[in-house]
Formats: sequence, C-alpha cells, structure tokens
Amino acid sequence: MNIFIVVPFRNEKKHIVDVVKGLSKYKLPIVLVDDGSTDKSGLKIEGLRLKNLTLLTHKVNLGKGAAMKTGAEYAFANGAGAIIFMDGDNQHDPSDLPKFTKELEKGNVEAVFGARNFAGGVPLIRLLGNKFASFIIRVLFGIKVSDVLCGFKALTGKAYKKIKWESTGYGVETEMIARAGKTKLKFSEVTVRAIYHDKVKGVTILDAIGIMGEIVKWWFTI
Amino acid sequence: MIIGLQIIALIFAFSMIYFVVLHYKRGEIGKGEVAAWMVMWTVAIVIIIFPEILRRFASTFLVTRVFDLMTIGGFILVISMVTSAYIRTKKLEKKLEDLIRKEAMRDANYKNQITNNKQKHK
Repeated sequence: MNIFIVVPFRNEKKHIVDVVKGLSKYKLPIVLVDDGSTDKSGLKIEGLRLKNLTLLTHKVNLGKGAAMKTGAEYAFANGAGAIIFMDGDNQHDPSDLPKFTKELEKGNVEAVFGARNFAGGVPLIRLLGNKFASFIIRVLFGIKVSDVLCGFKALTGKAYKKIKWESTGYGVETEMIARAGKTKLKFSEVTVRAIYHDKVKGVTILDAIGIMGEIVKWWFTI
Repeated sequence: MIIGLQIIALIFAFSMIYFVVLHYKRGEIGKGEVAAWMVMWTVAIVIIIFPEILRRFASTFLVTRVFDLMTIGGFILVISMVTSAYIRTKKLEKKLEDLIRKEAMRDANYKNQITNNKQKHK
C-alpha cells in the first residue's frame, strides 16, 4: 500500500525542519501543508530539497482542518492508498510511524487512531478536556476512542471518503471521530508518545468551548 | 404631533436611505437591492409618522399594543437577516477554502513538473 504522511503546520519555524528530518528516515512520501505561515517556515522547508517531499502552501490561513483536507486531497490524487496525519509542532514521535503502517498493511481496518500515553507530561486541563470530549462523543455517536483529540492518525482512501470533514479549525479531530462513529468505520488504536514543546500553541479553552458547540451541531447534522 | 422618539427614528430612517443611495452610486449594490431597501425604509417612515396604521394590524394578530407588534416585527426581521448573512458567509468561506486549496495544489503540481523536467534533462 502506498502510504503518504501529511503534516499540516502554521508558524512552526522552530520545529518543522526537525519534523521533516525525523520523517525522512522512513522513506515515505511527505506532504507538508503550510497553512498561511507568517514566519517563513515554508522557506526553511524549500531549503531542504528532499526528493519525496511536497510543500503545499495556503496563501491565507484557513485552519488545521482545511490544511489536513488539502493534504489529503493532494495525497489521494497522487496515488496514495492511505495517509498518516501528524502535527507539525514536533509533538509526535516519528518512531511511532511503523505502528500505523503495520496496522494499515494488515488490511483489517479503514483507520488507525493514535492514543497519547497520558502517563506524564500532559497538561492537566488538556487531559480533563480530552476525557470529557471522549465521553461526550461516546454517548452521542456510539464510538469508543481513547484519545479523540490526537492528531496522529491514519486513514485509507475509503475511510477518507466516508468521513470527509467540514471543520476548518481544531474541531476536525473530533468531527472525524464523530463521523467514524456514525459511519461505523472499522478502526484500531495504537499508543503514541506525545512531547509538548509549546504550551501556548494548539487548542485553547475557547477552542474547546467552540468544539463542544460543534459536537452538538454534528449530532443534528451528520 | 411628532414626538422626540419619532424625530430620532425619522433621522435614522433618512440616514439609512442616504447610505443606500451612496452604496448604489458607488456600484456596491444593484438596482433591485436599492428598490427593496427604499421600499422598506419608506414604509418605516410612514409607520413612524402615522403609527396608528399599525393599530389595525396589532388587533388582527391579537397583540395589545402597537409597540409590542413593532418589537415582534423587529425580532423577526433581525433573525431572518442574521440567518441570511450567516448562510452567505458560510458559502463565501467554502468558496474561499476551495479556491486556496486548488491554488496550493496547482502550485505544488507545477513545482513537481519543473523538478521532474530538470531531472530528465540531467
């Protein structure tokens, strides 16, 4: 199976080169989506000149969900059988990639969801928010996923068609799981490591409140 | 006799007509929209000057006071306008998203083509 790695990012000048270097060891095509960065992160990528690397640039910031969709559309249009999403802030450990490829190669599942190991280093507010979101999703959409907000996940082309999301922002992770529940998607979970480099980036409390509102909206619309 | 509140409402209505004409002259709105807004504000002016007109409508809808009828009418108008603006914004957002996505993919394909051509020539 032809597997592509899709990494959406915005203003990740500090980490994006390390992310790419970490991924390049695995010889998989990498699709980076620069979602309207203003810190010239894209230029750093162009300077790397790697063979299997494609950089897609949103001229205007659209949000994580939109960037993931752009990456997915590009990958599937260019021969990908499956894609693995990773965050561009170096939060995910590339050494977890074989767990995803192994699950996808088995062919039993349409999606593989990463579940962060919450043993240490995760801010308490994020941990509580995550557990609450998982509980709500389980009640409303009938799907039990340990870590609904984890951005490290894999989808086959079939799964992408089934759960193609509308969210343009951080609500994308939750919407994907909600749609997976509604469409009875076959999935498995793998444990991944998460390293928090930047506490001010990512989902804020305001984003979390917005996501909660969206969950209710999806309950009616999906 | 026209009271203070009516004067304020009339100034507001005439200002709105001025803005409608201004936006039309700038080419920002079409003839149909100008006509619709003009009719709406003219009706508003007539109601402001002769509020008694509404009394008959109020009793038809079993509303005791004219003011209550105007409040209900205002709510309906505002809600419908907000809904319409929300739908339009969502459509615009979607169009913008599609446009930026297509552009990003086109640029990447173009760059890949150039790189492939360079490699072939080598």
